[in-house]
Amino acid sequence: MAGQADRWTGAFFVALAAVLYFHVIPTYVETVDYGWVHPRTIPNAVAIIVAVCGVAQIIGPAPVTVPPARQLARAGLFFALIVAGLTLTAFLGFKIVAPLLALAIMLAIGERRPGWLAAGVIGMPLAIWLFVAFLLGRPLP
Amino acid sequence: MVDLATILAGFADAFTPFNLAFVLFGVIVGQFVGAVPGIGPIMAMAIAIPFTFGLDTLPAIAFLVGVNKGGLVGGAVPAVLMNTPGTPDAAATALDGFPLARKGKPLKATKMALFSSVTGDTVSDIVLITVSAPLAVLALRMGPVEVFALIIFAFSIIAGLIGNSVAKGVIAAALGLLCASVGSDPEHYTPRLIFGHFELYDGLPLASVAIGMLAVSEILRRLSETRGRMRATVEIPKTQDAADTRVSFAEYWACRFTLLRGATIGTILGALPGIGSTAAAFMSYAATKHASREPESFGKGNIQGIAAAESANSAVVGANLIPLLTLGIPGSVGAALIISAFMIHGVQPGPLLFEQQGRLIYGLFGAMIMANVLNLFVGQIGLRLWVRVVSAPESFVFASALLLCIVGVSMATGGLFGVAVMLIFAGIGYLMTSFGYSVVIFIIAFFLGPRFEISLSQSLALTNGKPAALLDHPIALALLVLALVCLIWFGLKARRLARAA
Repeated sequence: MAGQADRWTGAFFVALAAVLYFHVIPTYVETVDYGWVHPRTIPNAVAIIVAVCGVAQIIGPAPVTVPPARQLARAGLFFALIVAGLTLTAFLGFKIVAPLLALAIMLAIGERRPGWLAAGVIGMPLAIWLFVAFLLGRPLP
Repeated sequence: MVDLATILAGFADAFTPFNLAFVLFGVIVGQFVGAVPGIGPIMAMAIAIPFTFGLDTLPAIAFLVGVNKGGLVGGAVPAVLMNTPGTPDAAATALDGFPLARKGKPLKATKMALFSSVTGDTVSDIVLITVSAPLAVLALRMGPVEVFALIIFAFSIIAGLIGNSVAKGVIAAALGLLCASVGSDPEHYTPRLIFGHFELYDGLPLASVAIGMLAVSEILRRLSETRGRMRATVEIPKTQDAADTRVSFAEYWACRFTLLRGATIGTILGALPGIGSTAAAFMSYAATKHASREPESFGKGNIQGIAAAESANSAVVGANLIPLLTLGIPGSVGAALIISAFMIHGVQPGPLLFEQQGRLIYGLFGAMIMANVLNLFVGQIGLRLWVRVVSAPESFVFASALLLCIVGVSMATGGLFGVAVMLIFAGIGYLMTSFGYSVVIFIIAFFLGPRFEISLSQSLALTNGKPAALLDHPIALALLVLALVCLIWFGLKARRLARAA
């Protein structure tokens, strides 16, 4: 059905709004009972608006073309790869991780040509180092 | 009143080869760093200020103005060619620029962005040079109540960007507001939704959110679509019609009202401190889309969309200097950096500036005009270079763009925490786009959110919570009525289109 995905996302937003309103906002926003706009005013208003719109989406879904599950999974894999790269950067530094991350991404896409692999794995990290660390004198992550 | 001799002497100072060389250098640096996601002209200016200590005042300021102006043009290039805005200001340019580039017309799209940027910037500079003083007085009358009404008006214009589902558009805006509320609340300064991360006390960094949602999420989408077949990032036909590689005068002239509208919106918003060029670009885009006879063609490579966004975001730069030069109030971070450069060189911006430093100010105006002209020439060369870059395979371009995003955001936010935030928003942006929620509306709400809350709080305090007090604020009242008219007009138009469909 064309609007099925929209119904599911509507339900997700209703659930998200409920979690926000009943758990997240009371726990992570302080209570202040003076002044005009309290710290909770905007987040609570947002939660209510999201819930109402989520219900509206469940009742009247709009047709939406969602990418195939396989493509979503591939995006998830690339995302995990980048997160792993960032985690490694925290320990080993950008200078070591950048070529490895570039290599992993290029190989995962299917790039096998040595020239382009060299450009992405050696050329670009070197250019970034030259520009940021050498020319601008700023530390790399 | 500054006499003609001082004005001419000022312009003559600006046009000396020495000063022109600094403007040119600034424009080149600005265009280059503007094109690198996350770095942008503001950071380039911040880094460049210490290098101007040894210079005279005029070349130093002219150089910084060149960096600022060049950066806005540079930011549009990757937005158009890779859907990866170099600066948040250029996000609106990507909406139509990238689809046009993907149709095999990258040079046409980037040239239109360049011409529109220079046009908007020049119009705004002319306004600055001719009527900056009265405009600054008008800007001073904009108190918190008027700014609140202006933000409501901005939201009503941007509602025009909501697509076929109002619920989805409102959810996107609400989530943007929710993310904008992270950090200390503006009235009581208590921490809000920071989950123990004190890095979030000042809120989520705009660079992380904007680059994550717009650039990295697009990289993720393109990576997930690539299946072993190596292709160019932007396919450029080998035999291309000359009309597809240039913007004809007829095409430019057809955009004259769009350019003028964009420049007007950019100039007005630029004269008001704190609103910024991102909001101006999206407001202009939304207004143009609604004024168009073929709104369905927007987002699919309509050249008017590029003209609307670029003319508005560039017009903000000149107008930002209106409150700075006349009142000593910086209208943006870029203007604040220029004010600091003024003060470092012993010049005190404010109402007496024109009387005491008339020659310097008109020299600066001359440098600004020259920066626009040089932007045009440097841009023409730079664009060809960038078009060559994006004809490289996706594997190379996306891996490189990702590394640049990581480094740029890390520099902008001062560490890996900002990069982690960028990745989280990349994931959110990817999912939102995949399920039909507008990331553009999210970004705008996120950008305007803090200003909205502060002005709401101040307005309620000033009016004692009584709506009748709005009668004492005729500008605010007029803006609120305009907002209502816009919403009704958009609603009727959407209904008419739905019926026609």
